[in-house]
Amino acid sequence: MSAVKQGKSRYGMVIDLDLCTGCGACMVSCASENNVPPAQKGTTERTGLTWMRVAKAENGLPFPESRGVFFPVLCQQCGTHTPCVAVCPQQAVDVDPETGVVGQMAERCLGCRYCMVACPYHARYFNWNDPVWPAGMEKTLNPAVATRMRGVVEKCNFCHGRLQAAKAKAAAEGRRDLHPGEYVPACVEACPAGAMVFGDLNERTSDVAQAAADPQAFRLLEKLGTGTKVYYKSRHDWVRRMGRDGKEA
Amino acid sequence: MLLAFGVYALARCLILGLNQTNMDNRFAFGLWIFLDLTVIALGAGAFFTGFLLYILRRHELKSVINSAVVIGFICYSGAILLLMVDVGQPLRAWFTFWYPNVHSMLTEVTFCITCYLMVLAIEYVPVILKNRKLRYIPSFLCFEFELHKLMYVLAGVGTFLSFFHQGSLGGLYGVMQARPFAYREGFFIWPSTFFLFIASAMAAGPSFLVLTTMLVEKISGKRLVEHSVLSLLGKISGMILIVYVFLKSLDTMVWINHTSPSAGVEAYRYYQWQPFGSWILFAEIVLFGLAPALILMNKSKREDMRWLVSAAALVCSGIALNRFVLTIQTLSLPSLPFDPFLSYSPSWQESAAFLAVVAYGVLIYSFSYRYLPLFPQERDLEASHVSH
Amino acid sequence: MFPTNFGFTWTPGVMFFLGAFYTVLLVVLTTVSMSFYRAWQSKRTANVDSLRWKEEFHDLPKYDRHCRHEFTGEFRERVCENTFDCRSCQMHGTVVALRTDTADIGEEQYGMSIPADRLYHRGHTWVRTEGRGEYTIGLDDLGTRMIGKADSMALPEVGSKLTANGPGWWATRSGIDVRVLAPMDGVVTAVGTAADDWVLKIRNEHADLRHLLEPREAGPWILREMERLQLAMTEDGMAASLADGGVPSEDLPKSCPKANWPSVWGQMFLES
Repeated sequence: MSAVKQGKSRYGMVIDLDLCTGCGACMVSCASENNVPPAQKGTTERTGLTWMRVAKAENGLPFPESRGVFFPVLCQQCGTHTPCVAVCPQQAVDVDPETGVVGQMAERCLGCRYCMVACPYHARYFNWNDPVWPAGMEKTLNPAVATRMRGVVEKCNFCHGRLQAAKAKAAAEGRRDLHPGEYVPACVEACPAGAMVFGDLNERTSDVAQAAADPQAFRLLEKLGTGTKVYYKSRHDWVRRMGRDGKEA
Repeated sequence: MLLAFGVYALARCLILGLNQTNMDNRFAFGLWIFLDLTVIALGAGAFFTGFLLYILRRHELKSVINSAVVIGFICYSGAILLLMVDVGQPLRAWFTFWYPNVHSMLTEVTFCITCYLMVLAIEYVPVILKNRKLRYIPSFLCFEFELHKLMYVLAGVGTFLSFFHQGSLGGLYGVMQARPFAYREGFFIWPSTFFLFIASAMAAGPSFLVLTTMLVEKISGKRLVEHSVLSLLGKISGMILIVYVFLKSLDTMVWINHTSPSAGVEAYRYYQWQPFGSWILFAEIVLFGLAPALILMNKSKREDMRWLVSAAALVCSGIALNRFVLTIQTLSLPSLPFDPFLSYSPSWQESAAFLAVVAYGVLIYSFSYRYLPLFPQERDLEASHVSH
Repeated sequence: MFPTNFGFTWTPGVMFFLGAFYTVLLVVLTTVSMSFYRAWQSKRTANVDSLRWKEEFHDLPKYDRHCRHEFTGEFRERVCENTFDCRSCQMHGTVVALRTDTADIGEEQYGMSIPADRLYHRGHTWVRTEGRGEYTIGLDDLGTRMIGKADSMALPEVGSKLTANGPGWWATRSGIDVRVLAPMDGVVTAVGTAADDWVLKIRNEHADLRHLLEPREAGPWILREMERLQLAMTEDGMAASLADGGVPSEDLPKSCPKANWPSVWGQMFLES
């Protein structure tokens, strides 16, 4: 444990795929926390806003060897050669040096969608429609999070509003540092199976850093060298191979 | 009529939002981007003819430069119009200038294309000022005269800018490390697609000029440009195309054997998805690249207008195919292991909007043809044609 | 974009990129400003009409630019390199000095009236020297037949300056303006009416008329012009209406309304 905190965190996550049931609670809590508007008529699975999205993968073998797994996919918070940051023409995305979170500025986004093409994880979503909340539903809006307008790209930012709230609370108590568990994104909080662990990867003793160091942990498409901070864990070989190398089993 | 319908489609997209298109989160770039890239490559005839005429002093090209400038102007202004509708928040377009990201190829494209459109507009002005009525206003005449004397400066600037934006359009795809289908190794900061796009645009430009000139000749029924000039354009196109095909084949070899596997994907796997089988690579390089290059390098074929036009058409289609492959095929290929192969076809609004741009282009061109001296050789050729 | 913007950093990439952009903008703006400035200057000082003529001449097709000495047989084939301004042409001076033929010719050649008391301009006007620096200008026979009965004429005002090969006056026929070139430099002293057979009276103390055709040159030239006229009228599919050796009618637009007259006038009156 370092006595002097560098002040630079690298927030990351480890998702245990063996525990994930594919229930989708993470998806719902994410949408609710981040004021994602409900899908309008005509929205398809390819035009919806799903910052957190559970995908199903299978090992491709016939019964009785067929196996499946659920991959909750969210913004992987790439740390090296972040594709979306490199390509945005007006620097509407950047990697926060203090937290390592890749943040999107909806007010600056032009809607050119180059970042969406560049992202290999399909973690970025475009507002194809004007956001509309049916009457009464505006009461569910989270005041800590700004809504986005039509024509801009949005994505997961590890519930930045919660980080701000946690920091404010800590500051009110005269602390500079956050206790572990004081700041968790909505998805982590909501997961009923407890499959998600979140924390500062730079903090070597934290749960998340230790889970990430586990030999069964892997990252998606590691060969691309994107330096992602979302790790997945599975004791099944085929799952690891599929996720890491992008090969079907 | 077409224009009105197309403008209606454009208006729908601007007012109702881009849900009017068939683009989605996986196909973030659709028909419009692919067509934008293609028309910009075809409009390269403007800068290249200008370069050959004013800098390399190939005076035979004087008879096509006016037409080339108008075509270039149409292509670039049309592309920008379409782009403004394609983007989610067009009113924020100036943000790119205010907060440029110098690492992004798209910033480079934006800056260069804006500057170049300005240059093209300035080059178009003398053509307008040569109009019969406007010529008699002394200030216009003097301005046109002086500007024409400095035209080589503008031609040089145009070439410089075109070099960069044609390249950066290629760079858009080459830098995407996360999409191994598109990613390429590079030279200094630019991926190989940067140079390949420049070469292919330089090859496509003269061919497109040949096509448009022959089309206008056919429609108007008059001989407008001496066919030896068109053959010259064909020869230039052919020469550059040969270089391009060679470089592209080299690049493809490097990609198949080194770049793609080091990102974890063997190249043959891209072509396992129908309908984009390996025939597409073959078609792009051989059918639409090598074949017309060989035709255009052959003198006797080049001078036969039917062969020339067919070869030029093949060249332009090849360029379009190349842009298509990098836009649509890149996006349809699965990235994550549990992604399916995706397909996309444009909605009527997208097609209509593009056709509106084409109609706009035709309008400007016919306006120019009617009122401005686009083809200086026209009268000469008529006289010699009739008297013989 | 500017160092004052929030988030601006002085990295080499930024400096190179913005540097290139600003340089390009500067070059373009400088070029355009220079053109403006020079244009403003030349408008004030240079003769706009002669500038315009030079441009127009270069836009004329080769077929319309043959040298006058080709008509007289002194050259087999030659294209004018001096914008029809024989006053400053070395070749013209040399050829004229070598001329020996002084035979008289009649007033009519090839069916056209070509009076011997005047000099002719390739834009189908004639100049008659009245003496003491006074000259009369009119439209020649073929020119008159080509325009026919004009709806109106827009003539320069008394006191205005004309430049050789600059615009002289405009005749309107069936709504189209036909520009007739002025044959010489000078100041307009009188303007003709419809009843007169002349159009303008000019004063020029130091006139140089070497670029005008003498009557004996005008003959072969007129023959050539009639060929050009026939060609121009045939372009749009209208059958040849001038039989060889025949005389064009008094009012061509009236007798051959189907021809593309704006195009024909443009060619014959040397407008590109």
